[in-house]
Amino acid sequence: MPLFDLHTGLLILAISAAGGLVGLDRTAAGQFMISQPIVAGPLTGWLLGNAEAGLIIGAVLELVWVLDMPIGTFVPADATIGAVSATAIAVLGGSTEQVPLDRIGFSLLLTTGMVPITMMVDEGMRKRNSVLAETALAAPDQHLDCRLTRSHLSGLGAFFLKSFVLCLLFIPAGLAAVAIFAHAPDRLHRAMALFVKWLPLLGGALILQKLSVSIVNRFLLAGFAVALMMTLLLRGQPVVIVLLVLATGFLGARYGAWR
Amino acid sequence: MTESRGIRRGDLIRVLLRSFLIQASWSFDRMQSLGFAFAIRPALRRLYPKADEYNSRLRLHMEYFNTQPYLASFILGAAVRMEEDRAAGSGGTVDVPGLKNNLMAPLGALGDSFFWGALKPLAALIAVSLLMAGAGWAPVLFLAVYNAWHLRLRTSVLFWGYESGGDVVRLLSHYSFTRMASLFKALSLAVLGGMLGMIPMWRPEFKPLPGAAGVVAGVAATLVLVVAARKGFSPVKLMFGLAAISVALTYAGVA
Repeated sequence: MPLFDLHTGLLILAISAAGGLVGLDRTAAGQFMISQPIVAGPLTGWLLGNAEAGLIIGAVLELVWVLDMPIGTFVPADATIGAVSATAIAVLGGSTEQVPLDRIGFSLLLTTGMVPITMMVDEGMRKRNSVLAETALAAPDQHLDCRLTRSHLSGLGAFFLKSFVLCLLFIPAGLAAVAIFAHAPDRLHRAMALFVKWLPLLGGALILQKLSVSIVNRFLLAGFAVALMMTLLLRGQPVVIVLLVLATGFLGARYGAWR
Repeated sequence: MTESRGIRRGDLIRVLLRSFLIQASWSFDRMQSLGFAFAIRPALRRLYPKADEYNSRLRLHMEYFNTQPYLASFILGAAVRMEEDRAAGSGGTVDVPGLKNNLMAPLGALGDSFFWGALKPLAALIAVSLLMAGAGWAPVLFLAVYNAWHLRLRTSVLFWGYESGGDVVRLLSHYSFTRMASLFKALSLAVLGGMLGMIPMWRPEFKPLPGAAGVVAGVAATLVLVVAARKGFSPVKLMFGLAAISVALTYAGVA
């Protein structure tokens, strides 16, 4: 029996193309942050008719990778491909309307394993891009203008192809793995659901580590205290709580500057 | 004598629009060199009608260049102004490559620290905190908050660069990137703390345990993970580690 029907195959192709386009926003074009997991995940889910799975995947991947910054020659993990592939694998990996949390966890784990591959491909492609500059520089004067434009814009094509091809490879491979996972023992399914619950906490820990702040940082503690009080005692609305936390942080920063 | 024409607002807008593609052919050795030349091309076309001069100026802008992509707009604006002065013959000693070399490193450091290290985490943390409490519209808020700053700054610094001729002191006295980055980092930490304080409100998919116990468990787990992250474990290793711990806890009957 084939693993995918024609409909699923076409969906994989369409999502890979969308992944290629969204992936352009990472470095090559715009950088409007559409490529961030918190947007790319729900967008992929919405395209596949299930934004919920994308929201969960996008939120946790955003927290984990938000401070993995493209500084100098450092190529960060491609969280866009991770978010697009994980969402597509989770949504297309079963027939139920609601995507179960264990499948989301397993999809996230699969795409985590793919992170080093995305980094290697990205590095290889940027090395290859050196040829583009050499080609443009070597052009005779009468063709310089045209060669510059062609070389530069062909970089867009290469960045698109990178994300497109990686999604096109990862999503079917992930779907095959999910088909095997479906027959795994129940305890493994519960473990994958539990895995998802760890990830926001891991994201928070990674942010604290990257910002090199103490765990008793006054802004962190003030935000925690205000939100906890508002949540447990006053049952505030999330928007109101976040606004109050921001106001607390702002007043704390102003007070620190004044002192 | 060189026949020259002045830069128009439309030329600057074309340069700005092209600057959104400044990293389209990013490479390790020349980085944004082609992108810079590609972006400044409409201005050079306007200033140098003669092909030989146009080509020689275009080649000059294909040299190594790298900075934070948004603040590259400021350098582009400044370079356009210097090219205009040069073409008009009023700046015989205009050193455009020198200007680019002097500005790209400090603006790169400032932009990285402000946009990647402060604005993006703040916008993301606000959105994720709301999303985890059930606000499905949080991704739209993230894009709105981030791009309100990004687009405004990216556009305005190009015109600042052009009008000031690359006077970075004037730019920094108007936009205090360091002070804003420091404020945004403080706000990010407050929101991160707030996110943990809102654990009882989290969607069931994320909540470690129900009620106040979830807060205790969540904070304790975060502290342990901070220690693990500070030991030098990469995010990928930590994620695999957590998956292994989840399997172990489930098989041990704890979870």
